[in-house]
Amino acid sequence: MGIISRAFKNIGKNWYRFGLFFVTTAFWLFFAWRATGFLNSFNIFTLLRFASVQVMVGFAQMIALSAAEMDLSVGAIGAGVAMFVGALMQLLGVPYPLAILLGMLLGATAGFVNGILVVKTKINSFVITLATSSMFSGIMFITTKAKAFTVLPQGFVDLSRVWTFGLPISPLVWIMLVVAIVLYFVYSATSLGRKILAVGANRRAAEMSGLRSSKIRITVFVLVGIVAGMAGIMDAARMESAGPIIGTEWLLTSFAVPAIGGTSISGGNVVVFGTVLGGILTGTITNGVLLMNVSNFFVNFFLGLILLLAVGFDRLQKAYRERTSVK
Amino acid sequence: MKQREAVLKALHINKAFPGVQALDDVSLTLQQGEIHALIGENGAGKSTLIKIISGLYQPDEGDILIEGNKVRFSSPRDSVGAGVGFIPQERNLIPDFTIGENVLLERLNQSGAFVHYGKINAEAKQWLSAVGLEVSPKVVVSELSPAQMQLVETAKALALQSKILLLDEPTASLTPHEVEFLFSVLRKLRDSGVALLFVTHKLEEVFALCDTVTVLRDGHVVSQSEPIEAMDRDRLISLMIGRKYVVTQLPSKPPRAKTPILEAVDIYSDIGSEGVSLELYSGEVVGLYGLVGAGRTEFARALIGDARIKQGEVLVEGKVAHIKSVADALHRYSIGYVSENRKMEGLILAHSVVSNITITVWDKIAKMLGVIRRTEEKVIAGKFVKRLDIKTPSLEQMVMYLSGGNQQKVALAKWLGANVKILIIDEPTIGIDIKTKYALHDLIWDLSANGVAVLLISSDMPEVIRLSDRLLVMKEQRIVGKLENSHMYEEMSQKIGTLLA
Amino acid sequence: MTKRKSDLTKGRGRSAFQKFVSSDWGRLLVIDVVAVAIMSMVSKEYLSTFNLFVITRDVSTMILIGFSQAIVLAIGQMNLSLGAIGGLVAVTSGGLMAMWGWPIWLAVLVGLLIGVLAGYLNGMLIVWTGINSFIITVATNSIFLGLNLGMTHAKPFYNISATVKAFGQARFGFFPYMGVVTIILIVLMVILLKYVVFGRQILATGGNWNAAEISGVPVKRSVVLAHIISGFMAAVAGMLWMSQLGSAQPMIGVSWLLPSFAIPIIGGVALTGGGASIGGIVLAAFLLSIIQSALVHLQVDPYYVQFLLGLLILSAVVLNELGGRRRRA
Ligand SMILES: Nc1ncnc2c1ncn2[C@@H]1O[C@H](COP(=O)(O)OP(=O)(O)OP(=O)(O)O)[C@@H](O)[C@H]1O
Ligand SMILES: [Mg+2]
Repeated sequence: MGIISRAFKNIGKNWYRFGLFFVTTAFWLFFAWRATGFLNSFNIFTLLRFASVQVMVGFAQMIALSAAEMDLSVGAIGAGVAMFVGALMQLLGVPYPLAILLGMLLGATAGFVNGILVVKTKINSFVITLATSSMFSGIMFITTKAKAFTVLPQGFVDLSRVWTFGLPISPLVWIMLVVAIVLYFVYSATSLGRKILAVGANRRAAEMSGLRSSKIRITVFVLVGIVAGMAGIMDAARMESAGPIIGTEWLLTSFAVPAIGGTSISGGNVVVFGTVLGGILTGTITNGVLLMNVSNFFVNFFLGLILLLAVGFDRLQKAYRERTSVK
Repeated sequence: MKQREAVLKALHINKAFPGVQALDDVSLTLQQGEIHALIGENGAGKSTLIKIISGLYQPDEGDILIEGNKVRFSSPRDSVGAGVGFIPQERNLIPDFTIGENVLLERLNQSGAFVHYGKINAEAKQWLSAVGLEVSPKVVVSELSPAQMQLVETAKALALQSKILLLDEPTASLTPHEVEFLFSVLRKLRDSGVALLFVTHKLEEVFALCDTVTVLRDGHVVSQSEPIEAMDRDRLISLMIGRKYVVTQLPSKPPRAKTPILEAVDIYSDIGSEGVSLELYSGEVVGLYGLVGAGRTEFARALIGDARIKQGEVLVEGKVAHIKSVADALHRYSIGYVSENRKMEGLILAHSVVSNITITVWDKIAKMLGVIRRTEEKVIAGKFVKRLDIKTPSLEQMVMYLSGGNQQKVALAKWLGANVKILIIDEPTIGIDIKTKYALHDLIWDLSANGVAVLLISSDMPEVIRLSDRLLVMKEQRIVGKLENSHMYEEMSQKIGTLLA
Repeated sequence: MTKRKSDLTKGRGRSAFQKFVSSDWGRLLVIDVVAVAIMSMVSKEYLSTFNLFVITRDVSTMILIGFSQAIVLAIGQMNLSLGAIGGLVAVTSGGLMAMWGWPIWLAVLVGLLIGVLAGYLNGMLIVWTGINSFIITVATNSIFLGLNLGMTHAKPFYNISATVKAFGQARFGFFPYMGVVTIILIVLMVILLKYVVFGRQILATGGNWNAAEISGVPVKRSVVLAHIISGFMAAVAGMLWMSQLGSAQPMIGVSWLLPSFAIPIIGGVALTGGGASIGGIVLAAFLLSIIQSALVHLQVDPYYVQFLLGLLILSAVVLNELGGRRRRA
């Protein structure tokens, strides 16, 4: 099929992105050597499960970045949606697939609110979502009194708990991969993806070429809301508890993961599978550092450092390619 | 001829960008007290050379000598210090600063760590009167008109009192009158011993202003420091493009349609346009002539829904049209608009040639689930690349790496792809070299011969007189005259002149 | 950039009052006064000396947090690490006093130095790598925060010098001692941005990078300088906050992100760079503190506070933007 061969061709063209792949591998080797228990299947299982939530958080921000927007409310949306889904299941006994769907709908609604505000007020999305973030978590606190929902149906919990195909891979990982493939497809082969990237690269020019930028940007925020909501639900499944702690640490993650993966922060391009690798890398580091009994307070420090190194490395490589590609 | 000294020498400069050798062993000598024209086609390397001399880019190889001494500028700071002034083509002012501060930006620190506004304003006033701008230096620059800003730029360059002044297409946004004034200022500078390097695409300006000329072609010097007296227009053109160039006569075309496809009735908009009316028929080119700032672009924006129409109406094919956005104009009424500002509005510079050409048809070629087939997209883009002779290494090349002329062709191609019935083209040949200019003329002519209604906005008089079937003349947001075009330059330019007077 | 203005007469022919209300700070002043008037009617306590002291003390740090972000916004960049810098400075200078008994002046000096160094690091990384300031400061934010938490294990130092604790509570009438520091820094900022060449160069860089660069403005140095000032302001804010709390809390600074953007933006500073209205920032900091103290005074359920704060900030930003737009149109 065209799309698959194109994916391979893209990998060929973007070979230098494998730098990231090598860095991730290097960390795996290092932790396998230094961190006791890193390679046991239970740890691999938790690591991948955690990483897939990180990737989803990264996807949410990646979508916003692709349109040259920022969404600082991804964490608040994730928590709100997770708690909503938890409440539906625990308090109302809603079957979990339906609860998840309703949760994604709530995420979409929150995203729609962001989108409308950004488009109508013409104020920078950074500022708008900074404020709505505070409002969304406020609403979550008001309605739930910040109490976590922990009595969750078996089917829901199994989404994170079971092994699939006899491998230490949680269903959450597969969900993340499906989302990755859908996003790759949207960005590389559909008119919606093209339009989002065009608006992201130069909104004025996109409008002057007959694209309806308001509609496209609102769609982008709705997508961000859905994906952020999914990330929240997945995190709740992972922790087997839908509580207000979800999303509190996502701000760094959401930007770091796509940025490490090579998505430009100024809009107009995305690297979907780079984001997957970025999430696996940050997941690996968090996991490994904790295993090594380094004070977990230093995790932040290492993540920041890795982010710097990764984006710096990417820059260097680009500069190098530019210098060598002449003639 | 006076004895002249070489103040600036650039020797054997090489500079490469990804995929292009922008300058290949280029040498240039600037003498004291001369105005030296630097000309060449789009992408020949003129701006690159200027940017290297001013320290904005570093050469890969080669040396710069000022008054015989080798210099190495790592930033424009160094070159300013060494007496080199530079007016780039882009706006060069800090919008929120006052005129005075802008004029003396290079020397804010002349009285120590603190800015001495009294001194600055007093000095700026002198430079402002030297360029004939009678506005207080305390006025903030963002309040000025484009022409006034250009004068501030000139004053700023004068204030440097530099020995060498580099000007990259300074006349692109000026009216003929303002150009004349600028020239008189530049001549005064020359007479006081300054060496000027002047880049332009307008050959008339070369002959009117310059003393010597150097021609670049594809990064090579093809003619160095020849006195202008020894040059003529045809030879310059053939040096620039590498062969003799004959302007072909435009062929005849079928008569225009019987009923107008677009009518504007007494349009007032919130950004300008005071009672503008016109009719446009399929198969004709209507020239909308006016000076920069006459309100032509503002009127076009009202037509395509980019500005709000306060009063009056637009009719398309006889029916009242409600156009709220460019998307409406394109999808509901088949109107296209080629912006005068191709870098900001016309193109998505960081995207490929394919994306830029097919952007207007994505909805049309999308299949189920909005899937766009890459092959189909490439066929469409490839067709126009061929038809418009767009020079690009591949369809996937980012548009930002194309030369100005080829970028302009891409900006036009996307509307051809959309098969619009009405096309408004705004200043299509500003900053475009001669060969491409005539190629674009042929293209516009072809379009109208094939039944498209073209509204051509231009402040290039020969251009509108050559291409238009009818002419509208605009001044201060109104249409001041409608003329049938006889295609006789002398006669038409005189008629236009009286209308504008 | 392509905006065209056709004449010079805009802004003329309006009454002084209209001009006053339509200027960024004029409008804010009116809003501030109205807000205080409403609150003083609702609650008698509101204008009590003590409450005024609490508000003014809060404002003293808020203004600095606003400056810290505004100076970076002025060059068209962002600093997401200012909260982490404030926290790191507070725990180090507090730790030096509490653990090793360093004299106050030395601990404060070291604190300021750390702030300056952190800002310098941000600026240099941005200039060297050419990477977006947002990403760089997101990264350094975690680095500074990680250092802070790694050193303190999230435990505060309670044993800081008594003088420092007293300073945070001291006042002349309602006016806090702390406010003096802030006033000095306000004056310095005004002078810097209006009369000092460095300051003008920062604004020129933010206003039009290319033009500034071509005109020989040291753009890269201006970027680094802006970040240094930002780090310095965050450091002072962190130490003032510490003296107000009476202990060096590692979590100082984690809640600064929202106000750091809200204050300059409500105060009329454009995210695109090129300007910083000091008067606007000061009044916006007042507005924010008035809102916050009102929420406390009205005994709003703490669960509602976050929501209302977000809502009120959003409304302030939107109203201000709409007001500004009407003026520009
Ligand atoms: N920053 C850059 N990166 C990559 N390529 C560049 C860059 N600047 C210029 N080029 C390329 O170098 C060549 C020379 O460009 P330059 O801008 O000097 O041409 P020019 O003679 O000024 O053309 P014009 O008349 O259109 O202004 C062109 O092929 C252009 O695409
Ligand atoms: Mg050029």
